[in-house]
Amino acid sequence: MSDQTLGAGPKRIDGRLKVTGQATYTADHQLDNKAHAYGVFSTISRGRITGLALEVARNMPGVIEIFHHGNFPALHHTPSSMAGGNKVEETRLPFEDERIYYDGQFVALVVAERFDQARAAAQAVTVRYEEETPRANLEQGLTAHGTREGKGNHSRGNAKQAFESGTHRMEATYTTPVETHNPMEMHATLAHWPNGRLQVFESSQGVVQQKGAMAKIFNLAPHKVEVISTFIGSGFGSKLWMWPHAVAAAAASREIGRPVELVVPRSQMFTTTGHRPETKQTLKLATDEQGRLVALSHHSISNTSCTDQYVETCGSVTKSLYSCDNVSVDHRTTQVNRGTPTSMRAPGAAPGLFALESAVDEMALAAGIDPLTFRLDQFADRDESQDLPFSSNHIRETAERAAERFGWHQRNPKIKSMREGREIIGYGMAACNWEALKRPCDAHVALRADGTVYASCATQDIGTGTYTIVAQTLVELTGVPFERIEVELGDTSYPKGPISGGSWTTATTLPAIAEATRHAIMELKTRAVRSGGPFDGVDVASLNFENGVLSHNGKQMSFAEVLSSMKLANAEGDAHTEGADTSKYSYRSFGTHFVEVRWDPLLANLRVARVVSAIDVGRVMNEKTARNQVEGAIVMGLGMAMFEHTEYDPRTARVVNNNYAEYLVPVHADQPEIDVILLDYPDTAFNEFGARGIGEIGITGLAAAVANAVYHATGIRVRDLPITKERLMAGA
Amino acid sequence: MRAFDYTRPGAVDAAIATHARANSAYLAGGTTLLDLAKINIMQPDQVVDINGLGLDRIERLKDGRVQVGALVTNTALARHELIETHYPVLSQALLSGASTQLRNKATTAGNVMQRVRCPYFRDGTSPCNKRDPGSGCAAIGGVNRETFAVLGTSDQCIAAHPSDMCVAMAAIGATVSVMGPNGPRDIPFDAFHLLPGTSPAREHALEPDELITHVTLDAPPGGARSGYLKLRDRASYQFALASCAAQLSVEGGVIRAPRIALGGVATKPWRATDAERMLDGKVPSRALFEQAASAAFNGATAYEHNAFKIPLGRHAIIAELGALTGLETMQEVS
Amino acid sequence: MTEHFDPGTQQDETASTSRRHFLKTVGASGVAAASVPLWGPAAQARAADDPPPRSDAPRQGLSRIRLNINGHLHTVDIAPQMVLLDVLRNESGLTGTKKGCDHGQCGACTVLVNGQAINSCLSLAISHQTDEITTIEGLEHNGELHPVQAAFWEHDAFQCGYCTSGQIMSAVALLNDKQMGESDAAVREAMSGNICRCGAYRNILAAVQDARQVMKGGA
Repeated sequence: MSDQTLGAGPKRIDGRLKVTGQATYTADHQLDNKAHAYGVFSTISRGRITGLALEVARNMPGVIEIFHHGNFPALHHTPSSMAGGNKVEETRLPFEDERIYYDGQFVALVVAERFDQARAAAQAVTVRYEEETPRANLEQGLTAHGTREGKGNHSRGNAKQAFESGTHRMEATYTTPVETHNPMEMHATLAHWPNGRLQVFESSQGVVQQKGAMAKIFNLAPHKVEVISTFIGSGFGSKLWMWPHAVAAAAASREIGRPVELVVPRSQMFTTTGHRPETKQTLKLATDEQGRLVALSHHSISNTSCTDQYVETCGSVTKSLYSCDNVSVDHRTTQVNRGTPTSMRAPGAAPGLFALESAVDEMALAAGIDPLTFRLDQFADRDESQDLPFSSNHIRETAERAAERFGWHQRNPKIKSMREGREIIGYGMAACNWEALKRPCDAHVALRADGTVYASCATQDIGTGTYTIVAQTLVELTGVPFERIEVELGDTSYPKGPISGGSWTTATTLPAIAEATRHAIMELKTRAVRSGGPFDGVDVASLNFENGVLSHNGKQMSFAEVLSSMKLANAEGDAHTEGADTSKYSYRSFGTHFVEVRWDPLLANLRVARVVSAIDVGRVMNEKTARNQVEGAIVMGLGMAMFEHTEYDPRTARVVNNNYAEYLVPVHADQPEIDVILLDYPDTAFNEFGARGIGEIGITGLAAAVANAVYHATGIRVRDLPITKERLMAGA
Repeated sequence: MRAFDYTRPGAVDAAIATHARANSAYLAGGTTLLDLAKINIMQPDQVVDINGLGLDRIERLKDGRVQVGALVTNTALARHELIETHYPVLSQALLSGASTQLRNKATTAGNVMQRVRCPYFRDGTSPCNKRDPGSGCAAIGGVNRETFAVLGTSDQCIAAHPSDMCVAMAAIGATVSVMGPNGPRDIPFDAFHLLPGTSPAREHALEPDELITHVTLDAPPGGARSGYLKLRDRASYQFALASCAAQLSVEGGVIRAPRIALGGVATKPWRATDAERMLDGKVPSRALFEQAASAAFNGATAYEHNAFKIPLGRHAIIAELGALTGLETMQEVS
Repeated sequence: MTEHFDPGTQQDETASTSRRHFLKTVGASGVAAASVPLWGPAAQARAADDPPPRSDAPRQGLSRIRLNINGHLHTVDIAPQMVLLDVLRNESGLTGTKKGCDHGQCGACTVLVNGQAINSCLSLAISHQTDEITTIEGLEHNGELHPVQAAFWEHDAFQCGYCTSGQIMSAVALLNDKQMGESDAAVREAMSGNICRCGAYRNILAAVQDARQVMKGGA
């Protein structure tokens, strides 16, 4: 059994479904009489609708109904509270009025018998607008609106004064563009109303939140809404919170009295389902004569929409990564005519650490210190922003082990000094960092008379392996092998679970599963010792449960036999576990990336050849899926560093490269050699399993490590992502 | 995508007659037609599927030329022994384009007829003289990095021709054979694609209802070597930012019969004839290649975001010439 | 037609009982309450049944065609503009093939036509009446995974699983193609039309190369 317990690397329990095409994603569900919807999306970014010509579309084959602001049913706003379980990022409802706030906003919704009919009719709708001048980017937003207060600010000491009196100083502004999540599965909703209840299949990272929001918006008692997300073609944050398409589909289904499927086309996943906002970050660092950091200031501005406030907290890591007495972190936003931004893998930290870890490199060089040494000397030993000890922190070991594996010490620090053939080699490094969070969670577990163990929880497996590690937890606590374990996730009819985000799913869900399992075992024991039970009269405390078998004084019975003998279907346990106590420790995950880039000046070609990363995320629950997470985050980080950039026309605020051909993400051929070291030190102050979560940390710092390596190879300091070839070409 | 009728004729003349009866589009591999029909940019009432016409053969003609049927897929063409042996530039260009799946569907004629990747052309609403003559060109003054040209542009249109295959064919020299209501005719490859000029909507020399039946590649001169170099952001599955197709021979230490064509930087598959003249009869050298590369971009016009394509295109020429002549090209290009 | 690998050389992977598969399958699929078949055997049955010829006429504007999918003839009523991907998913009940972009830019919809990988989103269903079409549902042989499927599972060559059908179909095509290079670089280039946004490329490559050995009768 040892190959299936926590810490081992068993194959995924849902792997067979995924390799056979039998895993059911939202649009795979076949409901009788299903109708298909397709949106009409705004082609201006600011203004109002003055007319809709629907007649042509209405008379096209298969068209059932066309919804727009003139006929869409009146609905309600959700309070949008995560604690209340009803958060959305964009609070405005689709078709709420004639106002247009961004390119790609829903203007109408055509419902038809078939997908191709709905699309054809949607394309036949013509819309008249009264257009106003949009704010197309951060600079235009700043000019028009100035900035608004953000959140997550921090100040200690006097960063301004300390900067002025520092010996070595660096000051620079870094920018990151809008990035779009682009999960492979397009956002999709399949909604229907059986018996006055709303059942929604959704590609969602948070079914519980969507259920709550739906209940508020449609004014339904919560138990009348069910949201199901059995499998999701990933989300990277874009599917944490419900977007307007889901409301549109559910309302349309209610109005026409049939199931409605609405898949957001790829082009509109750049507009109406969130994005990582554009950021502009100013870093000011100073050291004393010996190169000790004396001042660290990180001020950022990011874009939000004209309907809602979203803050990209770029300085979240800056508060605590390095030891420094004088720190200032500030976040502000400005409104632009874009859809509302949202969390994208490592929100705040991904763009923030590009700036911070580039700046730290610049600071180290200015102080004449090797960038690795500079960091090793100054990583904080306790969280100085909260004045708390870290629950567990092995960042120095990550840096040392990765440096060793990478060969950092063979690096010639001189710029352009390392060559092989035509290529110039650059080495760069950066720290990575992410907070560890644990939220309240409910779970249900049953030991069943057929010898199987069952668990359910309304969290999701977004590809991270949650089904599998829940099964591993059951193996560990019951001794029952995978073959007799059933796990159900992704349905709000199960006990309330967390969103799949923030890297907190594992730390949140497993303790609840474990507690419910212990309750189920206790229930089994309590039943077994009752009058007429197989262990009649035995003291519960002296009854042993191991490998699925109850035993006492030489008598042994499997739990299946115990339950069968008593004609019981199962022994169940329910549990509620609380979030982490944040008063005693600061919980964070740590790591370090080392990157080798190769610049071919003749071909003006930059490639990342090699990445070595060491990661300290507490205990590793599944060696296979954990490594996969970090490697995938590195690949996405490579995209962030070199390719990804959602482009908006500066005149119209419309997205220009709204497709997979021109919004470039890494392909197979871009894959570098990747070597991930997982430290595996259990963080038992955080939770009983010692796991912190692993989804986001791998992307943080990666772009800075690439930029630092590019500087080493070329002498060009790129402070604006992505690092395209024209930034490196002489004479371009 | 509008509803359309579908026919699959069995003979070329029937296909042409059918095509003439309605607002039609020929369907070969479909990778351009269906892509653009789905976003309503192409709106045929009738699709004439030409896959039943048997135009899928590659043959060597007696005069040494190679005739490629209109429906030969990019994969089949790239892998054909005649092409691999005599036209490595074409094989390499084809294999650098798109993806395996697309190359398995995309055809020779379809690739010749490929439409531009300008996002303003594709969005259906922006001013675009190609899509909606007289409406203007939103790309000028807009976002114009990846798929935009610096050569052959006009104030009406700056979209780059996206094909790799066509760039190789321009370097090789070819003839496009078409059949139409008035019978067959041949169009020199260089004359097939039209510059945008004042009429960007007219992209090629085909008359209404004409159908490409095959493309015939000129016989390479004796001792010719050729190759294709494509530069882009990611390592695969991206249109060229700049590419160079070159064919030449080196006899007695001097370059003979140089043919150079550029992709990703021009509004049509672009013959760099000035560069060719500069190279002909000269001893290969880095300095010569740099001169030729500069000459190739004489008169180039940079727009807001694609100025880098001028030096990038020069890099492509210098590197490819270096590769074909075995010259060391270690230094940075300025 | 795609060559089927002889499952006899893969004892370890295929020894599992149907009971075991049943539990794993149901366990992970969840949604027990939904009224639709959600897991393997039912969906396969849908695909495998050659329905009797229909006596009714197709509705106006539709053509009745037969498609040879995974060795079975499917009768479907379609409009000419319907692409193979939508017909597979919505008319034939074969939802294993995924839509990721609908424009030939991601590879999630990859199927085999006469053994060659194509994007089913950019192909009219009506033009495939004489072709042999293979989808992810057609790879299993007598309930046993194709070596590429087994290798993907073993190597954790996916995360969310959404691009997986397309990745596997491309891998099967390239491994059956004698002219494709066998090096890691050749595989990466050949597979670059299949985007994996989760970034499981390293594991996918390992799975493809491992499956190559198995299919050669090696490991």
